[in-house]
Amino acid sequence: MKVAYNWLKEFVDLSVPAEEIASRLAFSGTNIAGIENGAHGAVIDAEISSNRPDCLGMLGIAREISAIYRLPLKPVAPKPAESTSAKASGAVRVKIEAPELCGRFTARVVRGVKIQPSPAWLKNRLEAAGVASINNVVDISNYVLLELGHPLHTFDYDLLRNHSIVVRRAKAGEKLKTLDGIERTLDPGIPLVCDTDGARAVGIGGIMGGGETEISFSTKNVLIECAWFDPIAIRRATRFLKLHTEASTRFGRGADPEMAETASRRCAELILQLAGGELLAGVIDVYPGKRAAKKITLTRAEFLRVMGADVPDKDLEAILSALGFAPVRVDDNRGAANSLLAAWECTQPSWRADAEREIDLVEEVARVYGLDNFPPRLPVARIAAARLPHHEAETRLRERLIGLGYHEIITIPHVAEERNDLFRPPDAQVAKLANPLSEEAGVLKSTGLVTLAGAIEWNLNHGQRNIRLFEIGRQYRLVDGKPVETRVLTVGATGAAREQGLYDAAREYNFADLKGDLDAIGALSGGFRWEDGGPEWLNAAKRGTLRLGQEGNQPIGAAGLLAKRVADKFKFRQDVFLAELDLGAVDCMFYGVKNNRRYEPLPRFPGVERDFSVFLEDGQSFAEVKKAIEALGIPEVTSVAAADLFRGKNVPAGKYSLLVRVTFQSREATLTEAQINDFSGRIVSALEKTLGASLRAA
Amino acid sequence: MPTVDNPAGKTLAELGAASPDEVAQLFSEVRALFDNQAAKQLDPATWEALKQVWTGRKSGVLTLITDNWLKPATPELKRAVGQELNKLKAQVESTLEARKRDVESLAEHAASAKDRADLSLPGVLRPVGTHHLIRQVFQEIEDIFFSIGFSVVEGPEIETPYYNFEALNIPEFHPVRDDMDTFYLELPKGAPGPLLLRTHTSPVQIRTMEKRQPPVRVIVPGKVYRRDNPDATHSFMFHQIEGLAVDSDITFCDFTGTIDYFVKQFFGESVKTRFRPSYFPFTEPSVEFDVSCVFCGGSGTAKSGGTCGKCKGSRWIELFGAGMVDPAVYGFVNYDPKKVSGFAFGIGIDRLAMLKYGIDDIQAFFQNDVRFLRQFP
Repeated sequence: MKVAYNWLKEFVDLSVPAEEIASRLAFSGTNIAGIENGAHGAVIDAEISSNRPDCLGMLGIAREISAIYRLPLKPVAPKPAESTSAKASGAVRVKIEAPELCGRFTARVVRGVKIQPSPAWLKNRLEAAGVASINNVVDISNYVLLELGHPLHTFDYDLLRNHSIVVRRAKAGEKLKTLDGIERTLDPGIPLVCDTDGARAVGIGGIMGGGETEISFSTKNVLIECAWFDPIAIRRATRFLKLHTEASTRFGRGADPEMAETASRRCAELILQLAGGELLAGVIDVYPGKRAAKKITLTRAEFLRVMGADVPDKDLEAILSALGFAPVRVDDNRGAANSLLAAWECTQPSWRADAEREIDLVEEVARVYGLDNFPPRLPVARIAAARLPHHEAETRLRERLIGLGYHEIITIPHVAEERNDLFRPPDAQVAKLANPLSEEAGVLKSTGLVTLAGAIEWNLNHGQRNIRLFEIGRQYRLVDGKPVETRVLTVGATGAAREQGLYDAAREYNFADLKGDLDAIGALSGGFRWEDGGPEWLNAAKRGTLRLGQEGNQPIGAAGLLAKRVADKFKFRQDVFLAELDLGAVDCMFYGVKNNRRYEPLPRFPGVERDFSVFLEDGQSFAEVKKAIEALGIPEVTSVAAADLFRGKNVPAGKYSLLVRVTFQSREATLTEAQINDFSGRIVSALEKTLGASLRAA
Repeated sequence: MPTVDNPAGKTLAELGAASPDEVAQLFSEVRALFDNQAAKQLDPATWEALKQVWTGRKSGVLTLITDNWLKPATPELKRAVGQELNKLKAQVESTLEARKRDVESLAEHAASAKDRADLSLPGVLRPVGTHHLIRQVFQEIEDIFFSIGFSVVEGPEIETPYYNFEALNIPEFHPVRDDMDTFYLELPKGAPGPLLLRTHTSPVQIRTMEKRQPPVRVIVPGKVYRRDNPDATHSFMFHQIEGLAVDSDITFCDFTGTIDYFVKQFFGESVKTRFRPSYFPFTEPSVEFDVSCVFCGGSGTAKSGGTCGKCKGSRWIELFGAGMVDPAVYGFVNYDPKKVSGFAFGIGIDRLAMLKYGIDDIQAFFQNDVRFLRQFP
């Protein structure tokens, strides 16, 4: 709200400059967006929080200033001259049929006005506040709204039929053309101001008047409506109508019901002053919502319990008085100033619907007294702090992946459904947004793969060719209509595993790179089991399913080369490798393996390596070789490794050559040549027998 | 290397040294001889020869002195000779060692230019990954709060309106809901609903208090969602760390002290802090928390001379909202508002990272361009 410095002076005697006032306001709870020095003096741009509708008027801001500077606030008591002959009660009748929506409705009538442009001072005030001038009567209602914070509406009295006003609920589907020329369809939650005993709608209560009864330059007689509408009803209505006005903002946050009659009087006063005419005597005031003011007790004990430091009686009472809470000491120690047992009975002002509890008074005192008067200190800790249960597992995993050259990424989980479906398992139910910003962000990712592929796509499109990424994030799915968020690790890579450099030749990232890197993190959880097969989004020849722990455990993820069908959708022109793992299982195994890990003494005797070069049929796996050797049960065999793999020259078609390196080691003694030859012989015959492998001289 | 022409081959008597002074004189001649020889330009071969001449076991100078001077010395002179010999020995050994380092380094330098490492060439660069900057900031903040007794907890991102709004004292049609434009999920017919994407990490306050009795002291890192159109300062997903401390004796002073501590740890001791009263439905009193502008050092003037672009000359930067937990919230979790009190805060991580590292586009965090990621190793 734009607050004109000069306008404030009508309510408090200000001697300090606008800049200082703005600063003090900011430190007592009125957020200040800035100050402008324009043609009409300094204008403070105040951002009023939604709990303080009382500050949506000069009077309210002035009241804040009066509390801050302990200055008296000038009373608002308009006394317009009334007709000695004609009474308002003879000119209009008012009935509230929906008191739950409309708690008060006042009407005054001014006859014989002259509608004309407003005088300069009024135009200037409105301009300073950012409101366009229309004509004197409309300007006056806007002026009073800005001054006292209470919305009013003026009707052309003669356009109101029958002069019998009824405030009722709108009927479902009922229509009204509002001042802005738009025909609006209403619903029964909306308060409607009607004439002809409720037959014709002439305004949406608390939001906007109707076009048919608007003030015009030919208006002679004016009816001033100043009412009070229920905040929740108004907020509901503004949302339903998608219509926000100065009036709806104030009523929607909670206007002051007691102010309605005063604001109406102020409006009449200004009309007489600027548009002439005669004010009919009295006011029609239907006030079914009148409530007794609430009493609130504030104790020093509670203030100290919340704030941790004190405020002297003198300041506390001055602040509460200035804000309208009329504090009265009620404790037995009344004579003792600043007693720890002090208690005050306060009265909730009608303009402060937000302040009805003791804690609200604590805040009122503290904010005006100044928050920097409460000295900071660190609280005593009574409990030990704990990390997230998966903190260590996740940290170790993350560090290892980063060491292996992968960049951690964070992605927005909103994706296009079509893309999401490329990776979504058929049985996973998608979590779809009801109100997405766009189709491109229409669902939450069912897997981390879709956004990781998106990040690779971004990089490839921005000239980055060699990319290794991982994300520790969540996948979002529905299971029986309930949301399930699962922590997953997603890994992706493409481009060179090693770039051409001074010392090395370039090499493309391939399946073995992915497998090796995953195994490096799998080692933290006891090692992955790789099995054939995998999801459809992976290339059938280069993919694997991963398991942890015992054989037969549930798969925890899959890894491999992105299938061409999927890669084509992303327009990838180079091989992209992806993997996704369920982190719940990985973390669980991490702690299990870690807690069971025990020291194994280092062997004291040297190990001996022997290489076996075997021809295998294409399709025969290294695992079969390893299994055949291990089946011999030679305890001195401590490792069986694939040392080299070769196809082509000197290798028969349909076969490949595998160099198997076996390490022999004993814990009891250095192995003799004879022992090693014996082991080797048994291995050779086992490989020949079980695999039909032919051996080359190694 | 000249042959050693020194007195060590003769006995003291032959040299006519009969008093300690004369012995000292002799030793100083020997030392001068050694210094002279050791000061010459040496290569590995001449160094080895020098070493042999002086410390050779059979006929090195030190051995000769031991044999010819010390052993036959009269009892009156023995002590003087012994002391002088030890001094000489220490000097010879340390000088030889020092000279050896010079000689080796000289030899390595003298190696042909082709063998020499060109320091301007890169080493073998093994690719190393990076922590995402948001993750780094999360970690830093978690560590600070962990050090003062805050546990870390998490919660779901898909929430119910109850946890996201109602239990935080934001009933339906509350004006604050208008400021938190919310994503809702489309649910299958018959599913219990509605469900939304949390607009803040605050629901985890409620979930935590439902499960634990005071004292509670937690921080909650996580993603949050608001339905804002993306631009340089808005992303419809961003990150927060929620903080909550509830105990029998937590006051506003404890709250400001905690925040003050955090900010000084994060931005440095010289940063100034201030609290302005504000409004949130789930805290009371509520505050906005500002720090002195970290770009202009709180001067309002940029280094270049003009108005600081980051704080727009105001000298302060608004950091986050916080406050004492509103007693109404305790009602939702069955805490007794008369017996407990506490504070809560919600820190926007992305904005904090942007401030600290001078990033001007929030979208950069989520595009994950490797050139961006590599800037924050």
